[in-house]
Amino acid sequence: MENLDRRYMALLVILILVSPLFGVYLSDLVGYHEPLDLAAEHVGLPDLNEELNWTPLYDYGFPALHPMLGYIVSGFIGVAIILGIGMFLTRIIGNSESDSENEAKK
Amino acid sequence: MHIPDGYLDPFMVLITFLLTGGYAAVSYKRVGKLSMDRVSLLSSFAAGIFVAQMLNWPLPGGTSLHLVGGGLAGILLGPYLGFFAMSLVLVIQCIVFHDGGITALGANILNMAILGVVTGYLAYKIATSIVGTNSRGRFIGGFLAGWLGIVVAGLACGIEIGFSTYFGFNIDVTVPIMVSWHAILGVIEGLITAFIIEYIHSRNPDISYLEV
Repeated sequence: MENLDRRYMALLVILILVSPLFGVYLSDLVGYHEPLDLAAEHVGLPDLNEELNWTPLYDYGFPALHPMLGYIVSGFIGVAIILGIGMFLTRIIGNSESDSENEAKK
Repeated sequence: MHIPDGYLDPFMVLITFLLTGGYAAVSYKRVGKLSMDRVSLLSSFAAGIFVAQMLNWPLPGGTSLHLVGGGLAGILLGPYLGFFAMSLVLVIQCIVFHDGGITALGANILNMAILGVVTGYLAYKIATSIVGTNSRGRFIGGFLAGWLGIVVAGLACGIEIGFSTYFGFNIDVTVPIMVSWHAILGVIEGLITAFIIEYIHSRNPDISYLEV
């Protein structure tokens, strides 16, 4: 299981490292825009995303970094947050399980 | 597929948050007490889906292909744990990266983490009960789960923006466009889902039936 986890994490790292080729380079190459954004532009809906932005990591970028590097950093940040939440919950469950075992022993 | 802010009117925002909140409450009750292994599996899966969604393959003409993962979540984790895994991805995408609007978070979770997951789960169950849980059944089930999951999510998205008074197109335009596009792009989602299920089964035959 540990080997599987290591291989899985290695796969995630590799995929994050190649992700800017898809999410940044090829996107720029074909002039990619979200289809919903294009529809909204067509009907004159205001683009609120940049006006109402609350995060420095908007659109998987990172301030002062090249978009491709920012995309990679954002990938690692996203994965770290998700796995961090998982580890936090695992620790809470582990503590409550050991508390229950201790009470049962008493 | 991620609906941004400003597309849904307050009524549609309220409805989608209520439906999502209701399903979250049911899922919380059905999942019950989580074990450490389950949480670990959930977060590992969510991390994988997050990365898979970053592999956005743009197509000439202005659209893109990437794995959404709702059908896969439904098959591997079931309709309730799968909901939490997909929701975790969508919440992080929205809050940390502003991918999808905060007012549309209820709708985005409803489309991709509820309808996509439940449709994928049911499609796989029905397909494997008809064809069997052999390699052919798993492949057909996986394909239908991925394909139908994304088509139903696209349909829901079309309904939401079509009924929203803020969006200039009505439902008779938004639904056919969203469904037809996702029916075409969903073929790739279906194939990826089927291959992943087959691969996982070949490595570990028990892991593809971890429904709660």
